[in-house]
Amino acid sequence: MSRYDGKNVVITGGSSGLGLAAAQYLVDNGARVLVTGRSRDTLERAGRQLGDAAVTVASDASSSAAIDALAARVEAEFTTVHALVLNAGVGSFDPFDAVTEQTFDEVFAINTKGPFFTLQRLVPLLAEGSGVVLTTSIANQTGWDALSVYSASKAALRSMARTLSRELLPRGIRVNAISPGSIDTGKLDKEAPDKAARLKAQFNESSPMNRWGHPAEFAPAVAFLAFDATYVAGIELVVDGGESQL
Amino acid sequence: MSDYTDKRVVITGGTNGIGLATAKAMVDKGARVLVTGRTPESLKNALATLGPEAIVVASDAVADIDALVRRAADELGGVDLLVLNAGGTASSIVEDTTESLYDNLFELNTKAPYFTLQKFLPLLPAGSAVVLTTSVSNTKGIATTSVYSATKAALRSMTRTFARELVDRGIRVNAVSPGPIDTGILERTMPADAARQFLEQIKATNPMQRFGEPEEVAKAIIFLGFEATYTTGTELLVDGGASDL
Repeated sequence: MSRYDGKNVVITGGSSGLGLAAAQYLVDNGARVLVTGRSRDTLERAGRQLGDAAVTVASDASSSAAIDALAARVEAEFTTVHALVLNAGVGSFDPFDAVTEQTFDEVFAINTKGPFFTLQRLVPLLAEGSGVVLTTSIANQTGWDALSVYSASKAALRSMARTLSRELLPRGIRVNAISPGSIDTGKLDKEAPDKAARLKAQFNESSPMNRWGHPAEFAPAVAFLAFDATYVAGIELVVDGGESQL
Repeated sequence: MSDYTDKRVVITGGTNGIGLATAKAMVDKGARVLVTGRTPESLKNALATLGPEAIVVASDAVADIDALVRRAADELGGVDLLVLNAGGTASSIVEDTTESLYDNLFELNTKAPYFTLQKFLPLLPAGSAVVLTTSVSNTKGIATTSVYSATKAALRSMTRTFARELVDRGIRVNAVSPGPIDTGILERTMPADAARQFLEQIKATNPMQRFGEPEEVAKAIIFLGFEATYTTGTELLVDGGASDL
């Protein structure tokens, strides 16, 4: 039998990149997954890739109504959830003086408030012994150019891993964060096709491992925190090729 | 997955507690495991637990490093995961701490892993990993642990520097930082009443209201050793939330 047979996992932002890699890894090891995403095309592709063990749901991580609808859908599909991966998030790369209030609010809505209320709504469905994994970022520990809003939204999320752990441990629910560094999800090629090659080469040069991480290297860390790390709560596990440590 | 057939693993301090639990998990998944220990009792216990597949070596963590490296080279040829777990504890308030206690504990917990890793380097291929056992006390002030905590803080620092120096050779170095783990050491080293009282107190204050099991730390060591291929220089806490909450 596979390692995660009979486990039900919800992954927000699970239709591409890191979330999809985590979903694939869990499905490969026996779990059933429900993944959310915003774009229908991406969801359809994810559904085809993941196969019968996966349910795909179009859902906007920043909308209260969508979060309520998601909770109802999860209950209908799974009744009980054994792992919740709050991975949906958005980047933002404006210099400080160019950041508008709208950008600020949007980024915090998706990266911070969305996960908070998604967890709140899904708590009644989480089994005793379940694990919650929040995707933060190594940016929350350091000062980088043009990342003030993004980094702050992830720092707030990292804080929640601690407080929500404390509040949910009496119910047997562990909350931890996973903090990716530079992982090649294809996003950069899509969002900045003119700069992608140069930025990638620069990072290859400067990073300790001289390479980008692969999404498949992120996935086992999610599974470890969700299911295997039974005496671990409130931590942030770094998957960054040594970038934040060395 | 979860198959470690023919992976070569060396675990210092692998005859009881966390080290033994790690060895057992690896043996069960097909790895070739060499563990070290000191007391005849723990060596015998390890043999019984691990079975004839495992190599159990009587080895002093400080004095026998060269012999251990030769033995590992003979038995395994190379090492895919080196777990530097051997260590000791000491409980002493600062004004009572003697220089010899200080020197002995630094030698065992800090200097020995340093040179053990140095001497194992020729056996570590690209793609291999090292895991050092630190302790949650290395970032906290806990009365009577000044020397112990400092030895582990130094080891945590080495995790970063080793990781930097070895990353170009494809060797990852990470630390696992256990909190209160029920290894039976308190019952063995303290009067029964005092041990029970201390255990109850830790249970009451830990966020999970319990001790961790050695098997729970073993899973973290194996994760860092084989699955965390884009992670180096980190310290992974296994403490029931004690450090963060």
